[in-house]
Amino acid sequence: MPTSPVVSRGSRRAAPTPFAHESAAAQLHLLRRATWGPTPAALAEVARLGTAAWIDRQLNPGTVDDGAVDAFAGRMPFYWRSAADLISGGYAATGWNAMLATGRLTLARQIWSERQLFEVVVDVFNNVLNVTNPSSEVWGCRQDYDRNVVRRHAFGGFGDMLVASARHQAMLIYLDNASSTAQHPNENYGRELMELHTLGVEAGYSEEDVKNSARLLTGLTIDARGNAVFDANRHDGGGRTIFGFVVPPHAPADGGGWIDAYLRWLAVHPLTARRISLKLATRFVSDTPPATLLDAMTRTWLQTGGQIVPVLRALFDSAEFWASAGQKVRTPQEDYVATLRTLGTRMETSGVEGITKIFWHVLDQGHAPMGWAAPNGYPDVAAAWTSPSGTLNRWNRHMDFAAGWYPPELQFTPALQLLPSIPSTWGALVDALGVRITGQKPTADEKAGLLLYAGRSEGQACSANDPWIRNNLQYLVALTLDSPTFTIR
Amino acid sequence: MSKNPQHCGCDEGSRLVSRRSVLRAALAAAAVGATTYTVGDVSTQVSFAGAGWNGETLVVLSLHGGFDGLSAVVPGGDGAYYANRPNIAVPRASLLGLDQMFGLHPAMAPLVPFWKNGTFGVVHAVGQSDPTRSHFAAMEQMELAAPGSSVRTGWIDRTLGSLGTGSVLNAVGFSNQTPRSFAGPNQETTMTSLEDFNLIGPGDDRPTWHAALRRMHTGARPEVGAPATTLITAMENVAQLKGAAAGPANGATYPGTDLGKAMAQAAILKKSGAPVQVIALDYGDWDMHAGLGRVDGGWMRDKLTELSSALAAFATDLGPAFGSTTLLTLSEFGRRVGENASGGLDHGHGNAVLLLGGGVVGGRVHGVWPGLGADRLVDGDLAGTTDYRAIIGEVLQKRCGAGSLSTIFPGFGGPQLGVVRAR
Repeated sequence: MPTSPVVSRGSRRAAPTPFAHESAAAQLHLLRRATWGPTPAALAEVARLGTAAWIDRQLNPGTVDDGAVDAFAGRMPFYWRSAADLISGGYAATGWNAMLATGRLTLARQIWSERQLFEVVVDVFNNVLNVTNPSSEVWGCRQDYDRNVVRRHAFGGFGDMLVASARHQAMLIYLDNASSTAQHPNENYGRELMELHTLGVEAGYSEEDVKNSARLLTGLTIDARGNAVFDANRHDGGGRTIFGFVVPPHAPADGGGWIDAYLRWLAVHPLTARRISLKLATRFVSDTPPATLLDAMTRTWLQTGGQIVPVLRALFDSAEFWASAGQKVRTPQEDYVATLRTLGTRMETSGVEGITKIFWHVLDQGHAPMGWAAPNGYPDVAAAWTSPSGTLNRWNRHMDFAAGWYPPELQFTPALQLLPSIPSTWGALVDALGVRITGQKPTADEKAGLLLYAGRSEGQACSANDPWIRNNLQYLVALTLDSPTFTIR
Repeated sequence: MSKNPQHCGCDEGSRLVSRRSVLRAALAAAAVGATTYTVGDVSTQVSFAGAGWNGETLVVLSLHGGFDGLSAVVPGGDGAYYANRPNIAVPRASLLGLDQMFGLHPAMAPLVPFWKNGTFGVVHAVGQSDPTRSHFAAMEQMELAAPGSSVRTGWIDRTLGSLGTGSVLNAVGFSNQTPRSFAGPNQETTMTSLEDFNLIGPGDDRPTWHAALRRMHTGARPEVGAPATTLITAMENVAQLKGAAAGPANGATYPGTDLGKAMAQAAILKKSGAPVQVIALDYGDWDMHAGLGRVDGGWMRDKLTELSSALAAFATDLGPAFGSTTLLTLSEFGRRVGENASGGLDHGHGNAVLLLGGGVVGGRVHGVWPGLGADRLVDGDLAGTTDYRAIIGEVLQKRCGAGSLSTIFPGFGGPQLGVVRAR
């Protein structure tokens, strides 16, 4: 926890304030939360800019050059095609290529994008409005959903994102609204919209509310050419009330307007404001975020009509955020990404084979981006992920990456080049590795374990010519990545 | 650090558990007890079985997504079933083992021999006390199994606490994620497979790696340190079993799918004689809102085929160990009785629980059948007439050696159905 005195620096709201947090520990805390893992370069940047300016820059991603990753994205042409275009071409011409490109590119952006905070927030909303990728029916539209729903609105308005989601082929197919009709409403989307995308199951709506929600949403479907449309012939124009939202009997042709009004009403409902704030606070603050923080975020949500950036500012402006260091554990995917980031692993010079292999890996381990099989998105609390098998997966990937074994297409930094020079004692060596890899010195227990592995004592002299170091340093790097300190978000 | 990994594990286990007063007695017993288990011709003595383990293994197969029990165990004698499902009903003529009311979906043919010899049975119209149609709320509620209380541990974790533990192989989940039912202070292990359950890297160096990792995690926060320590001990234990594990026995053939692989792993673990009290597996993708298919093809037919062949292979492969194994399926809720216009089924309530094992009273459908007439349905759903905890509770008491169920299912009581025989 940062200990520097609190000094106001003209924060955006009157509350007591925040950005006095310029200790190295606070900067490290910020990067662990607001990126997919600190790197030496990012730590240097935040030290140079200060945390407030660093956050400002990240909240304006258009000002951050991301040319390298943009160029890499150009290697995935399927990703850039529209839903209608792919669907009209038929499954045989596309297969799973567009979905796989979407997953791989997302992973690449997490590892290499300079717009790190944006990539973190995109991940949060990919889970809020989850459309499992890859999954069988969205082969032609998941890439379009990624570009035109989640990424387009992640730093915009939640109401716009929700409407875009409801009217997108991917969501229409994934939660079956495309097949819902006035005569035979399919309840899947109508229910998950309330439960997962907005109010939350604890809101207290009734089964009749769910049915009415499904009935109102009829008409949103997909036409024969693969376009998402509103078909008045399928719409139930009856009058009804949905958890307090009153819809009068209306001409079916006006149904689209009533649906959008309902979605926008849901987007700024106080329960939605609080629930999505909880999702963000769970990502950035703790598994059980304090009510005071949720109150502030919810207030901002309601004042701004669900604008996401101001809500994020409220979060980063809060004392609760700065006081939360050490309270989150990384997810398995985050651990993979953070490992590649901290080791300075670079993308392949051509093609996409390296990221493809990394993607299969995280998919097999049950944590590919957007790969959660159910509509509720990945959980983001330690209890969901801290398991023996998850620990083993993390440790094995640390070894792969630290030794540069796999995948060979990526450009790994040799373990011997991670430090500018080899310190003069073994104690200093494990300390230096800790700082280089986790941002801080190892704890006493960690240090004892690392020295135990090396079979050396703390004060014992050490040199770059030591054969043990030349042959085994990568194992010590892997063990440093295995340390409890590295698991902290 | 001891050079003997088994002693390592035991010391570590004692250290971890000594902080947990609820387990103190069980652990004291574990520390002095010893169990011998055998894989192939390898016999290993380890001091890790909980004193409460009687040799029975409970296998919990979660059918996440909302299993449609009415498609699997079909009430072919109830005309309302056919009236409600004009397009997706399983025709009466194709039902297997049909009695006055129920028959099995033909895709369940691999299980018919077990139905006939009385080791495969069903309880129908099973539900939860506070039904919800939210997958996530219903699953959470089912895996915690403590409705109306502030208990936040999972029922499998509480079962270990009640029966006594001390081994990281007491409860094993074959999964990428830890099930909610494992939540709590007892040691469970999840793994994707026995074969892959080891560190890659310097081969000769494993004892040193393990020792270093244990040392590094000594003072770690519990949510990081506990799984790490459990992992190291479990790797040491599993290393002893897997080298000697033979392929499936008795001509069993598992489907080459994730479920088939997981069931095959479960059988290896059980046959090893290691003190495995609970094995948890997850077989999801039952959320059939659209395109459920027909009896001769489609989503449901394919899923039931895979499920049935995996279960039949498991029962066959176990051989004599089948006698001390009880498998049950759980799903968060059943589906609506009436089909929707997408040829699928929305979320419902009452469901079927499948039971397979040497002590199962099979060949029949247990429970109270409420009927599918319009006046018998609850909001379009099959009513739940048996609480799922009654089934698990009976298995725990009659098969697994549990005494009182009060800590496992707080506040729950009720008569037994007679779904299993006492050991």
